[in-house]
Amino acid sequence: MNARPPLSEASVLAHHAALRAQFPILAQPINGQPLVYLDNAATTQMPLAVQGAMRQFETTQRANIHRGVHTLSQRATDAFEQARSSLKRFVGAGGEHELVFTSGTTDALNMVAQGLSQGQDGRAAAIGPGDEIIVSGLEHHANLVPWQQAAWRSGATLRILLPDAQGRLHEDALARLLTPRCRIFALTACSNASGERPPYEALLALAKKSGALTVLDAAQAVGHSAMQLDTLACDFMAFSAHKMYGPMGMGALVGRRAALERLTPFRFGGDMVQSVSFDRAVFAELPARLEGGSPNVGGAVGMAAAAAFIESIGQHTLEAHLAELRQHAVWGLRQIEGVTVLSAQTPTSAIVSFVVQGAHPHDIGTLLDAHGIAVRTGHHCAQPLLDHLGTGPTTRASLAVYNTHEEVEQLLTGVTHAIEVLR
Amino acid sequence: MSIDLDLYQDIVLEHKRSPRNFGALPGATHQADGTNPQCGDQISVALKIERDRIAEVRFQGQGCAICMASTSMMTEAIRGAQTTAARQLQAHFRGVLTGTEEADEAYLGKLISLAGVARYPSRIKCALLGWHALGHALQSPLPASTVSATVTP
Repeated sequence: MNARPPLSEASVLAHHAALRAQFPILAQPINGQPLVYLDNAATTQMPLAVQGAMRQFETTQRANIHRGVHTLSQRATDAFEQARSSLKRFVGAGGEHELVFTSGTTDALNMVAQGLSQGQDGRAAAIGPGDEIIVSGLEHHANLVPWQQAAWRSGATLRILLPDAQGRLHEDALARLLTPRCRIFALTACSNASGERPPYEALLALAKKSGALTVLDAAQAVGHSAMQLDTLACDFMAFSAHKMYGPMGMGALVGRRAALERLTPFRFGGDMVQSVSFDRAVFAELPARLEGGSPNVGGAVGMAAAAAFIESIGQHTLEAHLAELRQHAVWGLRQIEGVTVLSAQTPTSAIVSFVVQGAHPHDIGTLLDAHGIAVRTGHHCAQPLLDHLGTGPTTRASLAVYNTHEEVEQLLTGVTHAIEVLR
Repeated sequence: MSIDLDLYQDIVLEHKRSPRNFGALPGATHQADGTNPQCGDQISVALKIERDRIAEVRFQGQGCAICMASTSMMTEAIRGAQTTAARQLQAHFRGVLTGTEEADEAYLGKLISLAGVARYPSRIKCALLGWHALGHALQSPLPASTVSATVTP
Protein backbone atom coordinates (compact mmCIF):
# COMPACT_ATOMS: atom_id res chain seq x y z
CA MET A 1 0.00 0.00 0.00
CA ASN A 2 1.33 3.43 -0.89
CA ALA A 3 2.08 5.73 2.00
CA ARG A 4 -0.04 8.82 2.19
CA PRO A 5 1.87 11.79 0.79
CA PRO A 6 3.11 14.31 3.34
CA LEU A 7 0.72 17.22 3.71
CA SER A 8 2.76 20.28 4.54
CA GLU A 9 0.28 23.11 4.39
CA ALA A 10 1.25 25.46 1.59
CA SER A 11 1.73 29.05 2.61
CA VAL A 12 -1.50 30.08 0.92
CA LEU A 13 -3.26 28.39 3.82
CA ALA A 14 -1.55 30.62 6.36
CA HIS A 15 -4.32 33.16 5.82
CA HIS A 16 -6.89 30.65 4.79
CA ALA A 17 -9.74 31.92 6.93
CA ALA A 18 -9.33 35.43 5.51
CA LEU A 19 -9.07 34.06 2.01
CA ARG A 20 -12.15 31.90 2.46
CA ALA A 21 -14.06 34.95 3.71
CA GLN A 22 -13.47 36.49 0.27
CA PHE A 23 -15.90 33.87 -1.09
CA PRO A 24 -19.15 34.19 0.88
CA ILE A 25 -20.91 31.84 -1.54
CA LEU A 26 -18.94 28.97 -0.01
CA ALA A 27 -20.34 29.60 3.46
CA GLN A 28 -23.76 28.15 2.78
CA PRO A 29 -25.24 24.74 3.37
CA ILE A 30 -26.21 22.68 0.34
CA ASN A 31 -28.69 19.89 1.02
CA GLY A 32 -28.14 20.43 4.74
CA GLN A 33 -24.35 20.00 4.52
CA PRO A 34 -21.55 22.56 4.26
CA LEU A 35 -20.85 23.22 0.59
CA VAL A 36 -17.70 21.55 -0.75
CA TYR A 37 -17.24 23.23 -4.10
CA LEU A 38 -15.09 21.07 -6.39
CA ASP A 39 -16.38 22.16 -9.80
CA ASN A 40 -13.79 24.86 -10.36
CA ALA A 41 -12.79 23.70 -13.82
CA ALA A 42 -16.34 24.57 -14.89
CA THR A 43 -16.33 27.89 -13.09
CA THR A 44 -14.43 29.28 -10.12
CA GLN A 45 -16.14 31.46 -7.55
CA MET A 46 -15.54 35.20 -7.52
CA PRO A 47 -13.89 36.88 -4.51
CA LEU A 48 -15.30 40.03 -2.94
CA ALA A 49 -12.28 41.97 -4.22
CA VAL A 50 -13.31 41.25 -7.81
CA GLN A 51 -16.98 41.91 -7.10
CA GLY A 52 -15.94 45.17 -5.46
CA ALA A 53 -13.90 46.29 -8.47
CA MET A 54 -16.85 45.62 -10.74
CA ARG A 55 -19.26 47.44 -8.42
CA GLN A 56 -16.83 50.36 -8.27
CA PHE A 57 -16.87 50.57 -12.05
CA GLU A 58 -20.65 50.33 -12.23
CA THR A 59 -21.19 52.96 -9.55
CA THR A 60 -18.55 55.52 -10.53
CA GLN A 61 -17.27 54.95 -14.07
CA ARG A 62 -19.96 53.28 -16.17
CA ALA A 63 -20.43 54.78 -19.62
CA ASN A 64 -19.85 53.60 -23.16
CA ILE A 65 -16.28 53.73 -24.33
CA HIS A 66 -14.31 55.19 -27.24
CA ARG A 67 -17.12 57.49 -28.34
CA GLY A 68 -17.87 60.18 -25.82
CA VAL A 69 -16.07 63.40 -25.18
CA HIS A 70 -17.59 63.52 -21.74
CA THR A 71 -15.67 62.71 -18.58
CA LEU A 72 -17.45 59.53 -17.63
CA SER A 73 -16.88 58.03 -21.07
CA GLN A 74 -13.20 58.83 -20.76
CA ARG A 75 -13.07 57.18 -17.34
CA ALA A 76 -14.74 54.04 -18.71
CA THR A 77 -12.38 54.00 -21.70
CA ASP A 78 -9.41 54.33 -19.36
CA ALA A 79 -10.72 51.50 -17.17
CA PHE A 80 -11.18 49.27 -20.22
CA GLU A 81 -7.72 49.99 -21.64
CA GLN A 82 -6.16 49.68 -18.19
CA ALA A 83 -7.76 46.21 -17.91
CA ARG A 84 -6.30 45.29 -21.29
CA SER A 85 -2.80 46.34 -20.22
CA SER A 86 -3.05 44.51 -16.89
CA LEU A 87 -4.17 41.31 -18.55
CA LYS A 88 -1.42 41.50 -21.16
CA ARG A 89 1.13 41.78 -18.40
CA PHE A 90 -0.63 38.97 -16.47
CA VAL A 91 -0.06 36.46 -19.30
CA GLY A 92 3.45 37.66 -20.08
CA ALA A 93 2.59 39.35 -23.36
CA GLY A 94 5.35 41.45 -24.91
CA GLY A 95 5.44 44.42 -27.26
CA GLU A 96 4.62 42.28 -30.29
CA HIS A 97 1.39 41.07 -28.68
CA GLU A 98 -2.14 42.43 -28.56
CA LEU A 99 -5.15 41.39 -26.51
CA VAL A 100 -8.72 41.28 -27.79
CA PHE A 101 -11.61 40.97 -25.36
CA THR A 102 -14.09 38.20 -26.11
CA SER A 103 -17.02 36.61 -24.31
CA GLY A 104 -14.84 33.68 -23.30
CA THR A 105 -12.51 30.97 -24.55
CA THR A 106 -15.09 29.48 -26.92
CA ASP A 107 -15.67 32.88 -28.50
CA ALA A 108 -11.92 33.48 -28.80
CA LEU A 109 -11.22 30.11 -30.43
CA ASN A 110 -14.11 30.59 -32.86
CA MET A 111 -12.69 34.00 -33.71
CA VAL A 112 -9.40 32.36 -34.68
CA ALA A 113 -10.86 29.34 -36.49
CA GLN A 114 -13.33 31.41 -38.45
CA GLY A 115 -10.92 34.28 -38.98
CA LEU A 116 -8.32 32.03 -40.58
CA SER A 117 -10.69 29.99 -42.73
CA GLN A 118 -12.77 32.75 -44.22
CA GLY A 119 -11.58 35.19 -46.86
CA GLN A 120 -12.97 38.63 -47.37
CA ASP A 121 -12.92 41.61 -49.71
CA GLY A 122 -10.69 39.85 -52.19
CA ARG A 123 -8.34 38.73 -49.48
CA ALA A 124 -7.88 34.94 -49.45
CA ALA A 125 -8.40 32.97 -46.26
CA ALA A 126 -5.21 31.95 -44.44
CA ILE A 127 -5.98 28.29 -45.13
CA GLY A 128 -7.35 26.54 -48.19
CA PRO A 129 -7.68 23.18 -49.94
CA GLY A 130 -4.67 20.95 -49.44
CA ASP A 131 -3.67 22.66 -46.20
CA GLU A 132 -3.69 20.79 -42.91
CA ILE A 133 -4.87 21.62 -39.42
CA ILE A 134 -3.60 19.55 -36.49
CA VAL A 135 -5.62 19.51 -33.29
CA SER A 136 -4.64 17.51 -30.23
CA GLY A 137 -6.85 14.69 -29.03
CA LEU A 138 -7.04 16.24 -25.56
CA GLU A 139 -9.19 19.15 -26.61
CA HIS A 140 -12.45 20.46 -25.25
CA HIS A 141 -15.11 20.55 -27.97
CA ALA A 142 -14.48 24.33 -28.12
CA ASN A 143 -11.00 23.69 -29.53
CA LEU A 144 -12.12 20.91 -31.87
CA VAL A 145 -15.50 21.73 -33.37
CA PRO A 146 -14.45 25.20 -34.64
CA TRP A 147 -11.54 23.49 -36.45
CA GLN A 148 -13.85 20.86 -37.94
CA GLN A 149 -15.91 23.77 -39.27
CA ALA A 150 -12.81 25.63 -40.46
CA ALA A 151 -11.62 22.55 -42.34
CA TRP A 152 -15.02 22.08 -43.90
CA ARG A 153 -15.26 25.76 -44.86
CA SER A 154 -11.78 26.02 -46.36
CA GLY A 155 -11.26 22.57 -47.82
CA ALA A 156 -8.33 21.92 -45.49
CA THR A 157 -7.74 18.54 -43.84
CA LEU A 158 -8.12 18.07 -40.11
CA ARG A 159 -5.65 15.74 -38.39
CA ILE A 160 -5.66 14.67 -34.76
CA LEU A 161 -2.58 14.35 -32.57
CA LEU A 162 -3.72 11.35 -30.56
CA PRO A 163 -2.57 10.81 -26.97
CA ASP A 164 -1.11 7.50 -25.81
CA ALA A 165 -3.10 5.03 -23.70
CA GLN A 166 -2.32 7.08 -20.57
CA GLY A 167 -3.64 10.22 -22.22
CA ARG A 168 -0.22 11.85 -22.76
CA LEU A 169 0.89 13.76 -25.84
CA HIS A 170 4.35 13.21 -27.32
CA GLU A 171 6.63 15.36 -29.42
CA ASP A 172 7.64 12.51 -31.71
CA ALA A 173 3.99 11.81 -32.52
CA LEU A 174 3.55 15.46 -33.51
CA ALA A 175 6.77 15.37 -35.54
CA ARG A 176 5.36 12.45 -37.53
CA LEU A 177 2.13 14.35 -38.25
CA LEU A 178 3.67 17.68 -39.23
CA THR A 179 4.08 18.36 -42.92
CA PRO A 180 4.92 21.57 -44.79
CA ARG A 181 1.17 21.84 -45.51
CA CYS A 182 0.30 22.11 -41.83
CA ARG A 183 -0.91 25.68 -41.33
CA ILE A 184 -2.43 25.48 -37.85
CA PHE A 185 -1.72 23.54 -34.67
CA ALA A 186 -4.26 23.85 -31.83
CA LEU A 187 -3.57 22.54 -28.33
CA THR A 188 -4.75 22.83 -24.76
CA ALA A 189 -2.50 23.87 -21.88
CA CYS A 190 -4.43 21.43 -19.67
CA SER A 191 -7.16 18.97 -20.57
CA ASN A 192 -10.41 19.89 -18.85
CA ALA A 193 -11.57 16.26 -18.98
CA SER A 194 -8.53 14.29 -17.82
CA GLY A 195 -6.44 16.98 -16.10
CA GLU A 196 -3.48 16.10 -18.33
CA ARG A 197 -0.98 18.92 -18.65
CA PRO A 198 0.80 18.31 -21.97
CA PRO A 199 4.32 19.59 -22.66
CA TYR A 200 2.72 22.45 -24.56
CA GLU A 201 5.87 24.60 -24.67
CA ALA A 202 7.77 21.96 -26.66
CA LEU A 203 4.79 20.96 -28.81
CA LEU A 204 4.05 24.56 -29.80
CA ALA A 205 7.74 25.16 -30.58
CA LEU A 206 7.85 22.11 -32.82
CA ALA A 207 4.75 23.14 -34.76
CA LYS A 208 5.96 26.72 -35.04
CA LYS A 209 9.32 25.56 -36.39
CA SER A 210 7.50 23.68 -39.11
CA GLY A 211 5.71 26.88 -40.12
CA ALA A 212 2.30 26.42 -38.51
CA LEU A 213 0.31 29.08 -36.69
CA THR A 214 -0.07 27.89 -33.09
CA VAL A 215 -3.17 28.15 -30.92
CA LEU A 216 -3.21 27.51 -27.18
CA ASP A 217 -6.38 27.01 -25.12
CA ALA A 218 -5.23 28.23 -21.73
CA ALA A 219 -8.64 28.18 -20.01
CA GLN A 220 -7.59 25.54 -17.47
CA ALA A 221 -4.14 27.04 -16.84
CA VAL A 222 -4.37 30.80 -16.27
CA GLY A 223 -6.21 30.37 -12.96
CA HIS A 224 -3.09 28.98 -11.31
CA SER A 225 -0.09 28.96 -13.68
CA ALA A 226 1.94 31.98 -14.71
CA MET A 227 1.83 32.05 -18.50
CA GLN A 228 4.90 33.48 -20.22
CA LEU A 229 3.53 34.30 -23.62
CA ASP A 230 6.67 36.11 -24.77
CA THR A 231 8.71 32.93 -24.30
CA LEU A 232 6.13 30.63 -25.93
CA ALA A 233 6.01 29.75 -29.62
CA CYS A 234 2.37 30.74 -29.50
CA ASP A 235 0.47 32.87 -32.01
CA PHE A 236 -2.94 32.82 -30.31
CA MET A 237 -3.89 32.11 -26.73
CA ALA A 238 -7.46 32.00 -25.43
CA PHE A 239 -8.72 32.13 -21.85
CA SER A 240 -11.83 32.86 -19.80
CA ALA A 241 -12.39 35.15 -16.83
CA HIS A 242 -14.78 32.84 -15.01
CA LYS A 243 -12.20 30.08 -14.66
CA MET A 244 -9.77 32.49 -12.97
CA TYR A 245 -12.02 33.96 -10.24
CA GLY A 246 -13.51 36.54 -12.58
CA PRO A 247 -16.95 37.21 -14.02
CA MET A 248 -18.85 34.92 -16.39
CA GLY A 249 -19.29 35.83 -20.05
CA MET A 250 -15.85 37.42 -20.36
CA GLY A 251 -12.60 36.24 -21.88
CA ALA A 252 -9.69 37.17 -24.07
CA LEU A 253 -7.76 36.27 -27.16
CA VAL A 254 -4.16 37.36 -26.88
CA GLY A 255 -1.66 36.82 -29.60
CA ARG A 256 1.10 38.08 -31.80
CA ARG A 257 -0.07 41.17 -33.65
CA ALA A 258 1.09 39.79 -36.99
CA ALA A 259 -1.02 36.69 -36.41
CA LEU A 260 -4.07 38.60 -35.18
CA GLU A 261 -3.88 40.75 -38.30
CA ARG A 262 -4.44 37.64 -40.41
CA LEU A 263 -7.87 37.11 -38.85
CA THR A 264 -10.84 38.12 -40.93
CA PRO A 265 -13.21 39.92 -38.56
CA PHE A 266 -16.54 38.19 -38.13
CA ARG A 267 -18.41 40.63 -35.95
CA PHE A 268 -19.09 43.72 -38.00
CA GLY A 269 -20.57 46.93 -36.68
CA GLY A 270 -19.69 49.90 -34.57
CA ASP A 271 -16.28 50.52 -33.04
CA MET A 272 -14.49 48.11 -35.38
CA VAL A 273 -14.39 50.46 -38.36
CA GLN A 274 -12.19 53.33 -39.37
CA SER A 275 -14.50 54.82 -41.97
CA VAL A 276 -17.79 53.76 -43.50
CA SER A 277 -19.67 54.76 -46.63
CA PHE A 278 -22.96 53.33 -47.84
CA ASP A 279 -20.97 50.96 -50.06
CA ARG A 280 -18.11 49.79 -47.95
CA ALA A 281 -16.10 50.08 -44.78
CA VAL A 282 -12.47 50.31 -43.85
CA PHE A 283 -11.74 48.41 -40.69
CA ALA A 284 -9.99 49.83 -37.68
CA GLU A 285 -6.61 48.72 -36.42
CA LEU A 286 -6.19 46.02 -33.81
CA PRO A 287 -7.58 45.42 -31.27
CA ALA A 288 -10.73 47.41 -32.18
CA ARG A 289 -11.18 45.64 -35.52
CA LEU A 290 -11.94 42.40 -33.67
CA GLU A 291 -14.11 44.00 -30.99
CA GLY A 292 -17.22 45.07 -32.89
CA GLY A 293 -20.07 46.41 -30.75
CA SER A 294 -20.21 47.82 -27.24
CA PRO A 295 -17.95 45.70 -25.06
CA ASN A 296 -18.50 44.24 -21.62
CA VAL A 297 -16.47 46.93 -19.87
CA GLY A 298 -17.47 45.88 -16.37
CA GLY A 299 -16.44 42.34 -17.29
CA ALA A 300 -13.03 43.52 -18.47
CA VAL A 301 -12.56 45.42 -15.20
CA GLY A 302 -13.56 42.29 -13.27
CA MET A 303 -11.25 40.10 -15.30
CA ALA A 304 -8.30 42.39 -14.59
CA ALA A 305 -9.22 42.43 -10.90
CA ALA A 306 -9.27 38.62 -10.96
CA ALA A 307 -5.77 38.61 -12.44
CA ALA A 308 -4.67 40.96 -9.65
CA PHE A 309 -6.25 38.58 -7.10
CA ILE A 310 -4.25 35.66 -8.51
CA GLU A 311 -1.05 37.71 -8.52
CA SER A 312 -1.65 38.79 -4.93
CA ILE A 313 -1.49 35.12 -3.92
CA GLY A 314 1.20 34.26 -6.43
CA GLN A 315 1.06 31.54 -9.04
CA HIS A 316 3.87 29.56 -7.44
CA THR A 317 1.98 29.41 -4.15
CA LEU A 318 -1.22 28.54 -5.96
CA GLU A 319 0.37 25.76 -7.98
CA ALA A 320 1.98 24.31 -4.85
CA HIS A 321 -1.34 24.39 -2.98
CA LEU A 322 -3.27 22.79 -5.83
CA ALA A 323 -0.58 20.18 -6.46
CA GLU A 324 -0.79 19.11 -2.81
CA LEU A 325 -4.55 18.90 -2.87
CA ARG A 326 -4.48 16.96 -6.12
CA GLN A 327 -1.84 14.57 -4.80
CA HIS A 328 -3.99 14.01 -1.72
CA ALA A 329 -7.11 13.33 -3.79
CA VAL A 330 -5.31 11.05 -6.25
CA TRP A 331 -3.71 9.10 -3.41
CA GLY A 332 -7.01 8.73 -1.56
CA LEU A 333 -9.05 7.75 -4.61
CA ARG A 334 -6.52 5.10 -5.55
CA GLN A 335 -7.00 3.46 -2.15
CA ILE A 336 -10.65 2.85 -3.03
CA GLU A 337 -11.20 -0.43 -4.81
CA GLY A 338 -12.23 -0.13 -8.45
CA VAL A 339 -11.27 3.54 -8.86
CA THR A 340 -9.02 4.62 -11.72
CA VAL A 341 -7.69 8.20 -11.79
CA LEU A 342 -6.95 9.68 -15.22
CA SER A 343 -3.55 11.33 -15.75
CA ALA A 344 -2.65 10.57 -12.15
CA GLN A 345 0.99 11.68 -12.55
CA THR A 346 0.53 14.87 -14.54
CA PRO A 347 2.25 17.99 -13.15
CA THR A 348 0.57 21.29 -12.19
CA SER A 349 -3.03 20.35 -12.74
CA ALA A 350 -6.04 21.23 -10.62
CA ILE A 351 -8.26 18.52 -12.09
CA VAL A 352 -8.83 15.04 -10.70
CA SER A 353 -10.89 12.98 -13.11
CA PHE A 354 -11.76 9.38 -12.24
CA VAL A 355 -13.90 6.41 -13.11
CA VAL A 356 -15.30 3.78 -10.79
CA GLN A 357 -15.96 0.24 -11.87
CA GLY A 358 -19.66 -0.53 -11.55
CA ALA A 359 -20.70 2.99 -10.56
CA HIS A 360 -21.78 5.58 -13.13
CA PRO A 361 -20.51 9.16 -12.72
CA HIS A 362 -24.05 10.61 -12.75
CA ASP A 363 -25.01 8.44 -9.79
CA ILE A 364 -21.79 9.32 -7.95
CA GLY A 365 -22.37 13.01 -8.66
CA THR A 366 -25.94 12.94 -7.37
CA LEU A 367 -24.93 11.06 -4.22
CA LEU A 368 -22.04 13.50 -3.60
CA ASP A 369 -24.39 16.45 -4.08
CA ALA A 370 -26.63 15.02 -1.36
CA HIS A 371 -23.61 15.53 0.92
CA GLY A 372 -23.03 19.07 -0.29
CA ILE A 373 -20.15 18.12 -2.58
CA ALA A 374 -20.26 19.71 -6.05
CA VAL A 375 -18.42 17.84 -8.80
CA ARG A 376 -18.92 17.60 -12.54
CA THR A 377 -19.91 14.34 -14.20
CA GLY A 378 -20.16 13.23 -17.80
CA HIS A 379 -17.82 13.64 -20.71
CA HIS A 380 -16.97 17.29 -19.96
CA CYS A 381 -17.31 18.39 -23.59
CA ALA A 382 -14.44 16.08 -24.53
CA GLN A 383 -16.25 13.03 -25.80
CA PRO A 384 -13.65 11.99 -28.42
CA LEU A 385 -10.89 11.93 -25.79
CA LEU A 386 -12.83 9.78 -23.32
CA ASP A 387 -13.91 7.47 -26.15
CA HIS A 388 -10.28 7.19 -27.25
CA LEU A 389 -9.08 6.42 -23.73
CA GLY A 390 -11.93 3.94 -23.36
CA THR A 391 -12.98 5.35 -19.98
CA GLY A 392 -16.40 6.65 -20.97
CA PRO A 393 -17.85 9.43 -18.81
CA THR A 394 -15.94 10.39 -15.66
CA THR A 395 -16.44 12.10 -12.33
CA ARG A 396 -14.32 15.23 -12.14
CA ALA A 397 -13.29 17.05 -8.98
CA SER A 398 -11.48 20.28 -9.73
CA LEU A 399 -9.65 22.38 -7.18
CA ALA A 400 -9.18 26.06 -6.46
CA VAL A 401 -7.38 28.31 -4.03
CA TYR A 402 -10.10 28.10 -1.36
CA ASN A 403 -10.23 24.29 -1.22
CA THR A 404 -8.73 22.42 1.72
CA HIS A 405 -7.39 19.00 2.62
CA GLU A 406 -10.44 18.57 4.82
CA GLU A 407 -12.63 19.01 1.74
CA VAL A 408 -10.57 16.44 -0.14
CA GLU A 409 -11.21 14.03 2.77
CA GLN A 410 -14.94 14.76 2.48
CA LEU A 411 -14.75 13.93 -1.21
CA LEU A 412 -13.02 10.63 -0.47
CA THR A 413 -15.61 9.73 2.18
CA GLY A 414 -18.42 10.72 -0.18
CA VAL A 415 -17.07 8.62 -3.04
CA THR A 416 -16.64 5.63 -0.73
CA HIS A 417 -20.24 6.02 0.45
CA ALA A 418 -21.56 6.40 -3.11
CA ILE A 419 -19.83 3.19 -4.15
CA GLU A 420 -21.31 1.36 -1.15
CA VAL A 421 -24.80 2.47 -2.20
CA LEU A 422 -24.35 1.67 -5.88
CA ARG A 423 -22.50 -1.62 -5.92
CA MET B 1 -36.00 11.70 3.09
CA SER B 2 -32.40 10.67 2.50
CA ILE B 3 -31.36 10.39 -1.11
CA ASP B 4 -30.50 6.72 -0.67
CA LEU B 5 -34.16 6.02 0.14
CA ASP B 6 -35.62 8.60 -2.21
CA LEU B 7 -33.69 8.06 -5.44
CA TYR B 8 -31.72 4.88 -4.96
CA GLN B 9 -34.38 2.55 -3.59
CA ASP B 10 -33.49 -1.12 -3.28
CA ILE B 11 -35.69 -2.08 -6.22
CA VAL B 12 -33.91 0.51 -8.42
CA LEU B 13 -30.49 -0.80 -7.46
CA GLU B 14 -31.62 -4.39 -7.89
CA HIS B 15 -32.69 -3.65 -11.49
CA LYS B 16 -29.41 -1.79 -12.08
CA ARG B 17 -27.45 -4.85 -10.92
CA SER B 18 -29.56 -7.37 -12.86
CA PRO B 19 -31.34 -5.61 -15.70
CA ARG B 20 -34.28 -7.58 -17.15
CA ASN B 21 -34.64 -8.27 -20.86
CA PHE B 22 -31.07 -7.17 -21.48
CA GLY B 23 -29.30 -8.22 -24.67
CA ALA B 24 -29.83 -8.57 -28.39
CA LEU B 25 -33.22 -9.49 -29.82
CA PRO B 26 -33.04 -11.85 -32.77
CA GLY B 27 -35.97 -11.32 -35.09
CA ALA B 28 -36.61 -7.76 -33.94
CA THR B 29 -39.03 -5.83 -36.14
CA HIS B 30 -38.42 -2.38 -34.65
CA GLN B 31 -35.33 -0.80 -33.16
CA ALA B 32 -33.99 2.62 -32.12
CA ASP B 33 -31.25 4.20 -30.01
CA GLY B 34 -31.36 6.98 -27.47
CA THR B 35 -28.31 9.03 -26.49
CA ASN B 36 -27.74 11.32 -23.52
CA PRO B 37 -25.48 14.08 -24.85
CA GLN B 38 -24.21 14.94 -21.35
CA CYS B 39 -22.44 11.64 -20.79
CA GLY B 40 -22.65 9.84 -24.13
CA ASP B 41 -24.75 7.07 -22.56
CA GLN B 42 -26.57 5.12 -25.21
CA ILE B 43 -29.51 2.75 -24.92
CA SER B 44 -30.78 0.67 -27.81
CA VAL B 45 -34.31 -0.73 -27.59
CA ALA B 46 -35.42 -3.55 -29.90
CA LEU B 47 -38.99 -4.77 -30.25
CA LYS B 48 -40.69 -7.70 -31.91
CA ILE B 49 -44.14 -6.41 -32.77
CA GLU B 50 -46.81 -8.87 -33.87
CA ARG B 51 -50.21 -7.44 -34.86
CA ASP B 52 -49.70 -4.24 -32.80
CA ARG B 53 -48.63 -6.21 -29.76
CA ILE B 54 -45.11 -6.05 -28.31
CA ALA B 55 -44.34 -9.77 -28.24
CA GLU B 56 -40.71 -9.27 -27.20
CA VAL B 57 -38.54 -6.38 -26.02
CA ARG B 58 -34.86 -6.24 -25.19
CA PHE B 59 -32.43 -3.44 -24.58
CA GLN B 60 -28.68 -3.01 -24.80
CA GLY B 61 -26.18 -0.33 -23.92
CA GLN B 62 -24.83 1.34 -20.84
CA GLY B 63 -26.06 4.00 -18.54
CA CYS B 64 -26.29 5.13 -14.95
CA ALA B 65 -28.30 3.27 -12.30
CA ILE B 66 -31.37 5.43 -12.91
CA CYS B 67 -31.22 4.86 -16.66
CA MET B 68 -30.62 1.12 -16.46
CA ALA B 69 -33.31 0.55 -13.81
CA SER B 70 -35.85 2.69 -15.63
CA THR B 71 -35.27 0.90 -18.94
CA SER B 72 -35.29 -2.51 -17.29
CA MET B 73 -38.61 -1.83 -15.55
CA MET B 74 -39.94 -0.37 -18.79
CA THR B 75 -39.29 -3.62 -20.65
CA GLU B 76 -41.14 -5.58 -17.96
CA ALA B 77 -44.08 -3.21 -18.13
CA ILE B 78 -44.51 -3.18 -21.90
CA ARG B 79 -43.72 -6.78 -22.74
CA GLY B 80 -46.91 -8.33 -24.07
CA ALA B 81 -48.70 -4.97 -24.20
CA GLN B 82 -50.44 -3.40 -27.18
CA THR B 83 -48.32 -0.66 -28.79
CA THR B 84 -50.96 1.94 -27.95
CA ALA B 85 -50.81 0.93 -24.28
CA ALA B 86 -47.00 1.20 -24.34
CA ARG B 87 -47.30 4.71 -25.77
CA GLN B 88 -49.81 5.69 -23.10
CA LEU B 89 -47.57 4.39 -20.34
CA GLN B 90 -44.63 6.26 -21.82
CA ALA B 91 -46.65 9.48 -21.88
CA HIS B 92 -47.76 9.05 -18.27
CA PHE B 93 -44.26 8.17 -17.00
CA ARG B 94 -42.80 11.18 -18.78
CA GLY B 95 -45.59 13.37 -17.38
CA VAL B 96 -44.86 12.18 -13.85
CA LEU B 97 -41.14 12.85 -14.17
CA THR B 98 -41.55 16.26 -15.74
CA GLY B 99 -44.17 17.21 -13.15
CA THR B 100 -47.15 17.64 -15.46
CA GLU B 101 -49.06 14.58 -14.20
CA GLU B 102 -49.83 13.09 -10.80
CA ALA B 103 -48.35 9.63 -10.42
CA ASP B 104 -50.94 6.86 -10.79
CA GLU B 105 -49.40 4.24 -8.53
CA ALA B 106 -51.60 1.35 -9.58
CA TYR B 107 -50.89 2.06 -13.24
CA LEU B 108 -47.13 2.55 -12.85
CA GLY B 109 -46.51 -0.51 -10.69
CA LYS B 110 -42.77 -0.87 -9.92
CA LEU B 111 -42.07 2.26 -11.95
CA ILE B 112 -43.44 4.31 -9.06
CA SER B 113 -40.03 3.72 -7.44
CA LEU B 114 -38.61 6.18 -9.99
CA ALA B 115 -41.17 8.95 -9.37
CA GLY B 116 -38.66 10.65 -7.04
CA VAL B 117 -36.43 11.44 -10.01
CA ALA B 118 -38.80 14.36 -10.65
CA ARG B 119 -37.12 16.09 -7.69
CA TYR B 120 -33.69 15.86 -9.41
CA PRO B 121 -34.10 17.83 -12.64
CA SER B 122 -30.61 17.03 -13.90
CA ARG B 123 -31.43 13.31 -13.73
CA ILE B 124 -34.79 13.28 -15.54
CA LYS B 125 -33.00 12.74 -18.86
CA CYS B 126 -31.36 9.64 -17.38
CA ALA B 127 -34.69 8.10 -16.39
CA LEU B 128 -36.25 8.90 -19.77
CA LEU B 129 -33.42 7.74 -22.04
CA GLY B 130 -34.73 4.19 -22.54
CA TRP B 131 -38.29 5.48 -22.96
CA HIS B 132 -37.09 7.94 -25.55
CA ALA B 133 -35.52 5.04 -27.46
CA LEU B 134 -38.79 3.09 -27.09
CA GLY B 135 -40.78 5.99 -28.56
CA HIS B 136 -38.49 6.05 -31.58
CA ALA B 137 -38.41 2.27 -31.88
CA LEU B 138 -42.21 2.12 -32.10
CA GLN B 139 -41.95 4.37 -35.17
CA SER B 140 -38.89 2.69 -36.66
CA PRO B 141 -39.67 -0.61 -38.36
CA LEU B 142 -36.54 -2.38 -39.48
CA PRO B 143 -36.26 -3.03 -43.21
CA ALA B 144 -37.64 -6.46 -44.11
CA SER B 145 -34.19 -7.60 -45.28
CA THR B 146 -32.69 -6.76 -41.87
CA VAL B 147 -35.48 -8.64 -40.14
CA SER B 148 -34.92 -11.77 -42.18
CA ALA B 149 -31.16 -11.39 -41.80
CA THR B 150 -31.41 -11.38 -38.02
CA VAL B 151 -33.62 -14.48 -37.92
CA THR B 152 -31.33 -16.45 -40.20
CA PRO B 153 -28.97 -18.45 -37.97
